[in-house]
Amino acid sequence: MTLLGKGAAGTGKWFDDRLGASKYIKKSLNKVFPDHWSFMLGEIALYSFIILLLTGTYLTLFFDASMHEVVYNGSYVPLKGVTMSQAFASTLDISFDVRGGLLMRQIHHWSALLFAASITIHLMRVFFTGAFRKPRELNWVIGTLLLIMSILEGFAGYSLPDDLLSGTGLRIAASITQSIPVVGTWAHILLFGGEFPGTSIVGRLYAVHILLIPGLILALITFHLLMIWYQKHTDFPGPGRTENNVIGSRLYPVYAAKAGGFFFLVFAVCALLGGLAQINPIWLYGPYDASQVSAGSQPDWYMGFLDGSTRLMPNWELRAWGHTIPFNVILPTVVLPGVLFNIVGAWPWVEQALTKDRDYHNLLDRPRDKPRRTAIGVMGISFYVMLMIAGGNDIIASIFQISVQTITYTLRVAIFVVPVLVYIVTKRVCLGLQHNDEELVHHGIESGTIRRLPTGEFVEETVALPMSYQLTIAGAKGAPALEAGSNGHGELVPAGEVVEERPKPRGFFRDRTVDRREPIRPEATMPPLEKTPRK
Amino acid sequence: MTENTGGQQPTNEPRGGQTSAEAAGSIRDRLRAPAELGEQNAGGDSRGSDVTDASFQQTDSAAVLAASGRDEGQHGTPHVTAGHAGYQRHEELSEREARRAERKVAALFLLSVVGVIGFVITFFAAPFKFDEPDNIWFTPLLAIFMTLALTGIGAGAVLWAKTLMADEEAVQDRYDFASPEDARTATGQAFIEGFEATGLPRRKLLRNTLLLGAGSLAVLPLPFLLDLGPYAHKERAFRSTAWKKGVRLVRRNGTPIRLGDLAIGALETVYPDVPGGTFMSDTPTMLIRMEPDHLTPRTGREDWSIEGHIAYSVICTHLGCPVKLYEQQTHHLFCPCHQSTFDASNGAKVLFGPAARSLPQLPIALDDEGFFVAQSDYTEPVGPSFWERA
Repeated sequence: MTLLGKGAAGTGKWFDDRLGASKYIKKSLNKVFPDHWSFMLGEIALYSFIILLLTGTYLTLFFDASMHEVVYNGSYVPLKGVTMSQAFASTLDISFDVRGGLLMRQIHHWSALLFAASITIHLMRVFFTGAFRKPRELNWVIGTLLLIMSILEGFAGYSLPDDLLSGTGLRIAASITQSIPVVGTWAHILLFGGEFPGTSIVGRLYAVHILLIPGLILALITFHLLMIWYQKHTDFPGPGRTENNVIGSRLYPVYAAKAGGFFFLVFAVCALLGGLAQINPIWLYGPYDASQVSAGSQPDWYMGFLDGSTRLMPNWELRAWGHTIPFNVILPTVVLPGVLFNIVGAWPWVEQALTKDRDYHNLLDRPRDKPRRTAIGVMGISFYVMLMIAGGNDIIASIFQISVQTITYTLRVAIFVVPVLVYIVTKRVCLGLQHNDEELVHHGIESGTIRRLPTGEFVEETVALPMSYQLTIAGAKGAPALEAGSNGHGELVPAGEVVEERPKPRGFFRDRTVDRREPIRPEATMPPLEKTPRK
Repeated sequence: MTENTGGQQPTNEPRGGQTSAEAAGSIRDRLRAPAELGEQNAGGDSRGSDVTDASFQQTDSAAVLAASGRDEGQHGTPHVTAGHAGYQRHEELSEREARRAERKVAALFLLSVVGVIGFVITFFAAPFKFDEPDNIWFTPLLAIFMTLALTGIGAGAVLWAKTLMADEEAVQDRYDFASPEDARTATGQAFIEGFEATGLPRRKLLRNTLLLGAGSLAVLPLPFLLDLGPYAHKERAFRSTAWKKGVRLVRRNGTPIRLGDLAIGALETVYPDVPGGTFMSDTPTMLIRMEPDHLTPRTGREDWSIEGHIAYSVICTHLGCPVKLYEQQTHHLFCPCHQSTFDASNGAKVLFGPAARSLPQLPIALDDEGFFVAQSDYTEPVGPSFWERA
């Protein structure tokens, strides 16, 4: 036995004597993870959260979450002698007087943007591929909660420096709180410890930002990962892949090396952004002042859709019986996100109710194979994008020299019309792609070779689609039918009939032009052909 | 093979299926060409139309597929083959290629060392304070060295895994994690029996007092929550400001304003001349001067303005942002947050945007020394709406 082997055995024995962990660990090291680029999106979210914990911990060492007023006397000359809160002054110190503090601050901010972005894109991947279906509904809900948490955490975080931009954001948040019927005034007074801005809010948000929400996020991430571990990852359809297996690399060593390396690469990107791309230069905004604001005040991207909905909303306000209900505030900022996140969270059950599909699903859908789901998803994205555009209507107005009123009126119509059009177009595109698949499966690939038949007729030769692609196209339903054989071209021929008989898709998802339960035909439509490589 | 129904019992076969012959070679034989590894991910969602000869020419032999298929996959066992079943098989690396790959990985790892050295030198040697010369290079340099250090390890590890580690294709069965029906029944039964053993279903007094006691515990945290803010007279704060009769309108620096200090078309942000008046969130007011005949005072407010001078609250009635973008020619006031637009010449009425109410107007007058003063506080709540506001 080598020295390495002896050392490992010794350590292993020490732990196993105390924990009896060998069996479990051996099983774990052999756990198989499927490989697909889109499975890395969730990893990016996880890694950016780790980066946030690392950089955030460093920042707490220097940040002072106090609204106590001080006169600034740090090294940033333009603000010398200005009265500001201790929070703002300590953020300036981090930026200008702490070695590498600015880098840390900016990495923290960039990775926060990346965190919310990667969660959002990961959510789209899970949605469009149907990974949320039974048995993974609970993990979908946890993911939705994580998205909401990331937004709240981001908002609490960028409000801490008490600069002009974030103070304006806080003022808006205070006004939204105040607008909630019945309890709003109470909630405002309790949250801010009196009238806005008071002297408490930064300290309170600090507790929320560094303890409460990160704790919740950590707990939710733990459950999220445990469930992925226990239920095993989903996989795309392909050769040999069935509902009952996972194909990929084992955790140790290949997957661990790749995933570990990927963490450092994500960190590297955040570091590069943090050092080269300025973000949230609070010293240019100055300390918060209720009577000051700058044009082009935009929140961080993940708040943009709420800013947009607020800008688009007509000025409806109900005044009756001595009370005021400001619909112009609560509809776009309270009701809309409430409804949106509830729809997102409840989607697995909505789809189950529409499709009556209560089966287990471990193989993913290709988005084109579920035209209506895909169309609904893209419709949702278009709605969200409209809101984001509305959130930047002043910037667009000044760049393109269009009046902001024109943009707003246009978007007020577009927000209802465009998603409908997008739904129709997306569904058509999906069906078109299905046709294309069908064409490829049943007629093969154009070879570019024209042959003249004895009758004088010209035909183009086609080449059978490789089996691996046929199986990918066949999707989850085609895979179980697989039985190996050969068609004489060194290619596989599946058995023909699909073993599993399923009810025809009806209702919600009935628009499926290619019935994948048909036998897959590897033969080209033309007489037997040689494979002709394309030049 | 073995009948491992227990799920994940691994019997590691590092190589399987058709590759066993090749497996007889050294470890190096198992190395794969890095150039083709990019194809690995193409499988799942590859679009039919993207198929090119370059990829489909190399489809796998029946044996690869069969090896990874259900028929030969051992039950509950990670079944490992070399290469990606159904996709590209990677060429074996020759001894020379493997050494080259190893050198590449090593170079990346060394890059990390270079990055860290550069980082440390920059950290301690480069000027970083705002008032030091050339300080602007500090953060970018740190970031570049940090990126090198992180990229070296990260890219090195990935390249290592992709080139020098065995290109395995492991197949593992999923197990059915739903419990058998009788186990479910038994678990449910255990719960019911335990509940009955507590006596709760039979002893009504116990049950009711427990509910009452636990319910009253929920009240315990409420006083703590209520004490977060001054809950008495909560909305009085929203109804009044520090403005009152005779308080002078002063600039940010505390100087009062005389009639004639403002040019026509000018806007000055003013605050009440009281202690802390410039730092309150509801007092900021704008004093605007326009041609007197441009001004249409609202009925009952004819004497609230003086010779084309008119004062409105800066705080938007929509969400509280300062409405300070003033267009001299049109007398429009524009809120940069959500684009609510108000007409300063006509009682600050809403012209556009989500705001529902006009900006509150501050009645102004001149005192004995000719300085602007307030006639009273605002006559309506300043800022956004709230439930108790009539």
